[in-house]
Amino acid sequence: MTQTSGGDVRLSGISKTYGSFTAVHPLDLTVPAGSFFALLGASGCGKTTTLRMIAGLEDPSTGTVELDGRDVTALPPYKRPVNTVFQNYALFPHLDIYENIAFGLRRRGIKSVKKQVEEMLDLVELGPMARRKPQQLSGGQQQRVAVARALINHPRVLLLDEPLGALDLKLRRQMQLELKRIQTEVGITFVHVTHDQEEALTMADTVAVMNGGRVEQLGAPADLYENPATTFVANFLGTSNLIEAEVVTAGGDELLLTAGETKLRLPAGRCRTTARTGGTVLAGVRPEKISLTHADDAGGIAEGRNRLPGRIRDAGFLGVSTQYVIESPGAGRLSVYEQNVERDPRLVPGADVVLHWSPAHTFGLDASQDIGAGADTGEEAA
Amino acid sequence: MRAVLRWLRRHLVVLAGLATLAYLLLPNLVVLVFSFNKPNGRFNYEWQRFSTDAWSDPCGVADLCGSLGLSLQIAVWSTVGATVLGTMIAFALARYRFRARPAVNTLIFLPMAMPEVVMAASLATLFLNMGIRFGFWTILIAHVMFCLSFVVTAVKARVMSMDPRLEQAAQDLYASPAQTFLRVTLPIAAPGIAAGALLSFALSFDDFIITNFNAGSTVTFPMFVWGSAQRGTPVQINVIGTAMFLIAVLCVLGAQLLSGRRKRS
Amino acid sequence: MTTSTEAPPPAAPGDAPEDAPRARGRAARKRLVPYWLLLPGILWLVVFFAAPLVYQASTSVQTGSLEEGFKVTWHFATYWDALGEYWPQFLRSVGYAATATVLCLVLGYPLAYLIAFKAGRWRNLVMILVIAPFFTSFLIRTLAWKTILADGGPVVGVLNSLHVLDVTSWLGLTEGQRLLATPLAVVCGLTYNFLPFMVLPLYTSLERIDPRLHEAAGDLYARPVTTFRRVTFPLSMPGVVAGTLLTFIPAAGDYINAELLGSTDQKMIGNVIQSQFLRVLDYPTAAALSFILMAAILAMVTIYIRKSGTEDLV
Repeated sequence: MTQTSGGDVRLSGISKTYGSFTAVHPLDLTVPAGSFFALLGASGCGKTTTLRMIAGLEDPSTGTVELDGRDVTALPPYKRPVNTVFQNYALFPHLDIYENIAFGLRRRGIKSVKKQVEEMLDLVELGPMARRKPQQLSGGQQQRVAVARALINHPRVLLLDEPLGALDLKLRRQMQLELKRIQTEVGITFVHVTHDQEEALTMADTVAVMNGGRVEQLGAPADLYENPATTFVANFLGTSNLIEAEVVTAGGDELLLTAGETKLRLPAGRCRTTARTGGTVLAGVRPEKISLTHADDAGGIAEGRNRLPGRIRDAGFLGVSTQYVIESPGAGRLSVYEQNVERDPRLVPGADVVLHWSPAHTFGLDASQDIGAGADTGEEAA
Repeated sequence: MRAVLRWLRRHLVVLAGLATLAYLLLPNLVVLVFSFNKPNGRFNYEWQRFSTDAWSDPCGVADLCGSLGLSLQIAVWSTVGATVLGTMIAFALARYRFRARPAVNTLIFLPMAMPEVVMAASLATLFLNMGIRFGFWTILIAHVMFCLSFVVTAVKARVMSMDPRLEQAAQDLYASPAQTFLRVTLPIAAPGIAAGALLSFALSFDDFIITNFNAGSTVTFPMFVWGSAQRGTPVQINVIGTAMFLIAVLCVLGAQLLSGRRKRS
Repeated sequence: MTTSTEAPPPAAPGDAPEDAPRARGRAARKRLVPYWLLLPGILWLVVFFAAPLVYQASTSVQTGSLEEGFKVTWHFATYWDALGEYWPQFLRSVGYAATATVLCLVLGYPLAYLIAFKAGRWRNLVMILVIAPFFTSFLIRTLAWKTILADGGPVVGVLNSLHVLDVTSWLGLTEGQRLLATPLAVVCGLTYNFLPFMVLPLYTSLERIDPRLHEAAGDLYARPVTTFRRVTFPLSMPGVVAGTLLTFIPAAGDYINAELLGSTDQKMIGNVIQSQFLRVLDYPTAAALSFILMAAILAMVTIYIRKSGTEDLV
């Protein structure tokens, strides 16, 4: 097929309100041409509404949508050079696969569609299914038809609304790679809406995490994971241990904190809030960054590491790793993932341990936020 | 003996269902058998002897085939009218939220909850007082009126169960609103519309009570049958009744075979 | 509107974004769409269904004669006179219709159950056989009952030899050694005529029941009868309510069966309205009678729907 380069999408001050309910707060967002962009969030966070405003299926209450620098806000969907892969695919049940894929071409008045449709059927490996009806296909096949039906139009931007939501885990993994391959091949800009953080992290170049109609944070997957800006992002992307701590000394390259009896250090550059001496911050650390040492061996821990005493409450064997829940006097409940490399047989529930990690892996967040934000929604949606 | 009893108990529901089916079909059987009768008097209620006279000359009775033609004509036109108007209402109800919705729903429901004789007498009173002459047009107006609600109900159910994303997908794929309606909405709603139309046709073709009040001296097929029940029933009535029954069964069976073969290929 | 051929992506620079007032105008027009869709059909119903009912109401309080014309004189006595004279026909209508409805339910339920769960690959055929009789004019089929129930016919013969007719005539359902021109014949005809209106909604609601529920009930120690009473029947209630309404309402206003299968002693209220309107030409009485019938049925239906707790039926 012909190489099409993607277009860029620019949303300026775009918002959507239904009566008194605000689905999307005024939002500025730029999706660079040719990128794989993910809108990630729990259901009801406004990500689908944002996508539908780009598609033209929803009229924004304020703001504008630009494609390649052209204002398309007032254009109806059928005049926009974007196509959508719908949630549950929305394949036309009364048309066969061939006609589903040819639909867009035919509407644009193209008479000879045969060659293009057959090419597209080959690309998604559905050639022999051409004359079947959508309901005779498996979920994965339907999904590929939906992609083919959109891609055949060479859109400037392809919008994907939870495209893998209806597939089982194994097929989902496979399709993630497949979609990524197609995107690299055709070079079209992909805007992908999902509630699955793993899906967003593995596929997208840039992820925008949305919550309550706002973008909480935007960045590359690794950056979002390592440097969350809010408690919501910290909890929604993976798991975070957040410890409420008092600032002892501020200023300089490193902040010194106390949580209960213990002292913690936090690089000033990784603190997302202005810390004043005597104020509180949330010190965060990812579970896999923490090492566990039995209390009897605590002497052997290297100097300069952050450390917390605690007692193992629960241990769950996950194969690759073991997940511990640890009760710590100054920090509450913490979760720790240990690789199953050399397991210490003494690390069983009830054992006293010391948790320790490099201060460089600590991040600081504004303590006025809800400490549990995003923790439950993430679980529920996944 | 106990085995027989047990078998009977196990299949009680099936046997009862089949008995009901037999009760439903018995009159049709009688109509069929008596279409080969050669009655002595004017009435065709008692079996005399076998004859195919009526089958060889179905229009042999004055006005019979004329009334049949009129009934078919009225059925076709009232089906067209009720289907178009009813489909429009169904789309409005299924697709839009507006203030008059509950009132419209009630207005649609009432004709189905109203004894026919009441509607018939009311409409006839209106026509009488307006000085409108009874005939083809008054029958047609009445038939469209009482078929409308049934079409709305059938189409509304179908449209409501349709995924709104299908129309959005069409728009996303460069179909204008008009094309979306013609290429996606209408084909998907078609079974509901067809069901409504079929029901309209059957209701209109077979209606007697409302027609009786609003026909004046015009005679539809049911009115012809009614009149003959008083004056004498020609065997040809049974011929027509049996033929309609057989045509209907064959049409449905044929359609099923066709769709079955298409599904397999 | 730009036609499809003119708007290939990327869209031509020609279609400039619309300005705000135009977009607002489009939104306003969009709000009017449902009203335009409703207009012709609703107008039809208002003019030819609702307005006649109002007209009928005014007719019912008119007095006069065919020769001198009728005038509204607020003569409510017509209602009392009509009720006073025709209350037996009213009672009979309700009684016959209620009996026929119960019979339809009892007879129709096994058939609907058979189609929904037992028919297997015969399901479509049985469905066709239920619907197909519709295509033979119901008047012809009702006349066939005249043959079936005829005095010298086999049905009367069998029932007579089993002395069933003695019992039924003792109960007042039949008279002497015959079936025709008795209440039993009229109820039998009503039941027959409206049976499909009971079977079809019953089937629709039975068909929606997951057969695994029966297995689950059996698994939880429910005997077949208990399964039916506790699971199947409650789940089929929407069909039962719809079916009984679709049977009772037309049966109560029917006059065909009473006319063809009954005698003057089985006249129902439909017969009275019909003869007042078409033969006696006493329009006020006919109007009053149909109003009473309508009010009675609407009241009964409303109470029934409330009681059965399926208001979403409307």
